[in-house]
Amino acid sequence: MVLKIENLSVSYETDIEVVHAVNDISFSIEKGETLGLVGETGAGKTTTALSIMGLLPERTARVRSGRIEFQENDLLALSEREMQHIRGDKISMIFQDPMTALNPVLTVGEQIAEALILHNTDGYTQKEIEARVEETLELVGIPKERKKDYPYQFSGGMRQRVVIAIALVCNPDLLIADEPTTALDVTIQAQILSMICDLQRKYGTSVIMITHDLGVVAETCDKVGIIYAGEMVEYGTLYDIFEGDEHHPYTVGLFGSIPNLKENARRLHPIEGLMPDPTNLPEGCSFSPRCKRCMEICMKKKPAVYENNGHQIRCHLYDAGMQKAVSENRKEAGEDGR
Amino acid sequence: MEDKMLEIRHLKKYFQTPAGKLHAVDDVSFQIEQGKTLGVVGESGCGKSTLGRTILCLNEPTEGKILFHGKDLVTAGKKERKRLRPKMQMIFQDPYSSLNGRMTVRQLIAEPLIVNKVCKNKKELEQRVSEAMETVGLAERLSMAYPHELDGGRRQRIGIARALVLEPEFIVCDEPVSALDVSIQAQILNLLMDLQEERKLTYLFITHDLSVVKHISDEIMVMYLGKCVERAPADEIFENPLHPYTKALLAAIPIPSVESCHKRRELLQGEVTSPVNPKPGCRFAARCPFAKESCRSGEILLREVSAGHFVACNQI
Repeated sequence: MVLKIENLSVSYETDIEVVHAVNDISFSIEKGETLGLVGETGAGKTTTALSIMGLLPERTARVRSGRIEFQENDLLALSEREMQHIRGDKISMIFQDPMTALNPVLTVGEQIAEALILHNTDGYTQKEIEARVEETLELVGIPKERKKDYPYQFSGGMRQRVVIAIALVCNPDLLIADEPTTALDVTIQAQILSMICDLQRKYGTSVIMITHDLGVVAETCDKVGIIYAGEMVEYGTLYDIFEGDEHHPYTVGLFGSIPNLKENARRLHPIEGLMPDPTNLPEGCSFSPRCKRCMEICMKKKPAVYENNGHQIRCHLYDAGMQKAVSENRKEAGEDGR
Repeated sequence: MEDKMLEIRHLKKYFQTPAGKLHAVDDVSFQIEQGKTLGVVGESGCGKSTLGRTILCLNEPTEGKILFHGKDLVTAGKKERKRLRPKMQMIFQDPYSSLNGRMTVRQLIAEPLIVNKVCKNKKELEQRVSEAMETVGLAERLSMAYPHELDGGRRQRIGIARALVLEPEFIVCDEPVSALDVSIQAQILNLLMDLQEERKLTYLFITHDLSVVKHISDEIMVMYLGKCVERAPADEIFENPLHPYTKALLAAIPIPSVESCHKRRELLQGEVTSPVNPKPGCRFAARCPFAKESCRSGEILLREVSAGHFVACNQI
């Protein structure tokens, strides 16, 4: 097991309010596996990633509870100095926006070399580092002659390749990709995704793919976690989430919201309402105000996790009378044209 | 064709840049019937937003004709334009930057009415604004709110209300949902489709998201570097794409189903070339896997290959 997160809760605290960004999230990743974290803006996906990286803003963020175990180390217990050895070397991150993630006054070669120089445990010489930078550039599909170029000389897709090169140069064991293709066009997105997959297969890297695009998830991931208002509402294999019979109502709503290329439904089935305010989460299940199948208990008590063969759902529908819930869900799924 | 609401003939828009002439929109022609939607797709920088802005004369076109109900907007005088323009509106891409942060929701929606001097008195104005808010699903209690207090979906509803309040016939939707989350995106798409049915609106729907465009459009136009490379009815273009670029674009969409898991695909190599002083011949030739010598010279014209299906490729 590469990474194991148990009951992680993170909040941002200011004098005025407390934002409950991540609430009791648990998951784990095996070597070479890809986990997709899916959710809407403000669901807590990026906060989860930043807490693994130890990059939460110091002043406001507070990890209220939980454990992040990475290769038998508790990351939350490490000092900043120890964390620096891991960050960028064993765990690295691809940031969302390639336009702002790079330093505009350093050449891309210098920026890629930076990670190597900081984590130079094997005592590479200057020449070896240069060679490694060139090798990495070629790996991500940029001619090595361009290492002396500045970020502004690259297009969006090429810049994202540079960001990926920086993340990969130290051969990390865990790669966190935070919406790596959201800012890119579809044809470039396809190139970048297939590159990430190829590299993963080559080096056995574990990947956390953070995205809101279910298409991207279907193409790259082995396991999927659906996050809503800081909670993991459903977690399972790709097959469980896309083809399984049991679902959290939010997952059903998410699938109903995307236009399907294969079918000709004239109307989408959006989820009514908005995400709850994270400073003021509803009592009970946080999805209850928008849920079509909300029951009385949903507004009072937080649902427990229901598990079936590793497929986890956090919903009261599965408390008791499981079979009934399943058959109803099937029916609803049929109506939604899924 | 009957009810030809909007007809564009050989529209061109060039920008002068230090490096040369940037061909943002290059010889595009099409027409839209009343109550229909034409979807325009393409990658960033292919000229789709410029096309939308040029049709509304927000950019003065370099050449070509824009016929709205048979009246040419390009040659029309100031008065004539002022009369026609309220009938043509635009919904902008980014609901975060397209609204004035110092105006309340009510002021924002009233602005087009005041500018065009539509209402005779204050009461009528208030009435029209309230109606528009109700149509797009904005609660009355939000009328005194400022845009920064609202989320993206609600802000986009303000943008739609601003476009609708003048009761236009034709709306250019410039990526109206790309800044929104999927569940909100679906709400806005449904709203736009409901409004179209109710008011017989005509849309020019600009987007880079092919699944959205299929959902909302009757006809789809694919653009590449300022040129229209293929135009066909929506279903036809997805079932029978002919231009290599359209094929590549369709193949690149990630499909949310288990079958696409770790699937290998034919990928388009390279990136969009520069639209500044483009070389003669097919603009896609540099990335096209089937490009031949003949593709790199001469003008490639849009031909009708089957009823309503136009394609600009030498090899079809």
